[in-house]
Amino acid sequence: MSQEIVDEVAKYLTSNIPIVPISQGAEAVVFTTTIHPYIPSSNNEKKEKFIIKYRPTKKYRHPLIDKSLTKHRTLSESRILSKLYQIDGIKVPKLIACDPYNGCIWLEFLGEDLPNGFGFSNLKNFLWMNAKDPYNDCVKDTLYKVGQQIGLLHWNDYCHGDLTSSNIVLVKDEDYGTNWIPHLIDFGLGSTSSLVEDKGVDLYVLERAIISTHSSFADKYNEWLIQGFSDVYKSKGKQGNKKLNEVLKRFAEVRLRGRKRSMIG
Amino acid sequence: MTLITIPQFPEYNVSITLFKDVTNSKVIRSHIADSKIAFLDAKLIVSTEQVYSAIYKALIENKYNRLRTKTILSECLFCLSPTSNIGDAFKKFGIKDDSKNVICLKVLSNGESLDDVNKEVLDVVDGTMIEFNDDNLKDMYDVTLVRKIYKLEKDFQPATTTELSRALVNAIQIRGL
Ligand SMILES: Nc1ncnc2c1ncn2[C@@H]1O[C@H](COP(=O)(O)O)[C@@H](O)[C@H]1O
Repeated sequence: MSQEIVDEVAKYLTSNIPIVPISQGAEAVVFTTTIHPYIPSSNNEKKEKFIIKYRPTKKYRHPLIDKSLTKHRTLSESRILSKLYQIDGIKVPKLIACDPYNGCIWLEFLGEDLPNGFGFSNLKNFLWMNAKDPYNDCVKDTLYKVGQQIGLLHWNDYCHGDLTSSNIVLVKDEDYGTNWIPHLIDFGLGSTSSLVEDKGVDLYVLERAIISTHSSFADKYNEWLIQGFSDVYKSKGKQGNKKLNEVLKRFAEVRLRGRKRSMIG
Repeated sequence: MTLITIPQFPEYNVSITLFKDVTNSKVIRSHIADSKIAFLDAKLIVSTEQVYSAIYKALIENKYNRLRTKTILSECLFCLSPTSNIGDAFKKFGIKDDSKNVICLKVLSNGESLDDVNKEVLDVVDGTMIEFNDDNLKDMYDVTLVRKIYKLEKDFQPATTTELSRALVNAIQIRGL
């Protein structure tokens, strides 16, 4: 990560809040810290970690436009997280703090390190970890639950906008130690949308992500995902079934368009 | 009495005092115009986290010269509110004539000690000072009123105070703008 950006954030947060850089994307940089933005650290007995997501200033944009864009995107991501938090069953990180003027969001840290050096517990690494026994029950259960999360999201007319297998974080189930609870992260491109097109694209993006990293097992994996997805819609009665058919039909169309494009390109 | 400092803004110290069985709310109210203390009715306060997160927000607004009210102190009160109507926020979150449980906030000035503030609030409030903590707040809030003021989704049925508090923190962090 560019030292300039790290310095910028460190200065903003002051030396009271030590940060560890963990990721740099096109839109935002992400840090962890052990300091809560406002709850006294004497209350942090569990040594919880927190995520700080910062949108750096873009030098090529006019400063005023840059400020307003940053503010807008920061708020938009925060609003979506806040709305999703109130929907029963949807799992997203808790929004802790939001400074839209400086493009900073604080989130609850989710996930953990997988054993044997498989890295952080996102869906992508989890599937790699299971490559030796790719169709085990835990994989099936997890993918089904991922599908449910997306089903819930779409049923409530939200779209993720960047549904890759790294944007799905698995959190250990406290009650059943071997199970994972998938959480959706990074709503930077999220939106409210009732368009089947947006939903179809979400599903397609995830399908592509699974195919590109776990190609040999992708058929089964995607089948389980869609099972979880469909069951959410089916549980909503007649209306649910109708909408499910519309989304899946569009999903198939989006996939077809994607194929054609890759044949030409 | 609790003293809180937001790590990002170490130059500000805010004291928080919780009173129960307050008997002179009406008198306190008649003097709030020139008071350096903010008095909140605890009815809408679910957790310590909720108050802390409003203080954080107020200091953020202050940092960017975005204060909507006259002082950091009044901004803390305003920031508790999920809407951008200042008068409304003061009316809803501020002390009322019949308030029984009252929270006092004060931004300490230079050289002022916690003892000084302690004396000051004890001087003004007739009630029993108890620790500002989640356990004590738990018995004071009015969940129906909280849900209404924060316009929580009907289907959102938090099982615990922690979950309820989280939704309020969200509302505080993303208000208006
Ligand atoms: N709430 C979170 N808990 C744990 N890791 C996160 C969280 N948010 C973001 N990350 C990590 O930071 C990376 C980039 O975040 P983002 O820019 O939101 O996609 C993600 O791929 C995760 O590895």
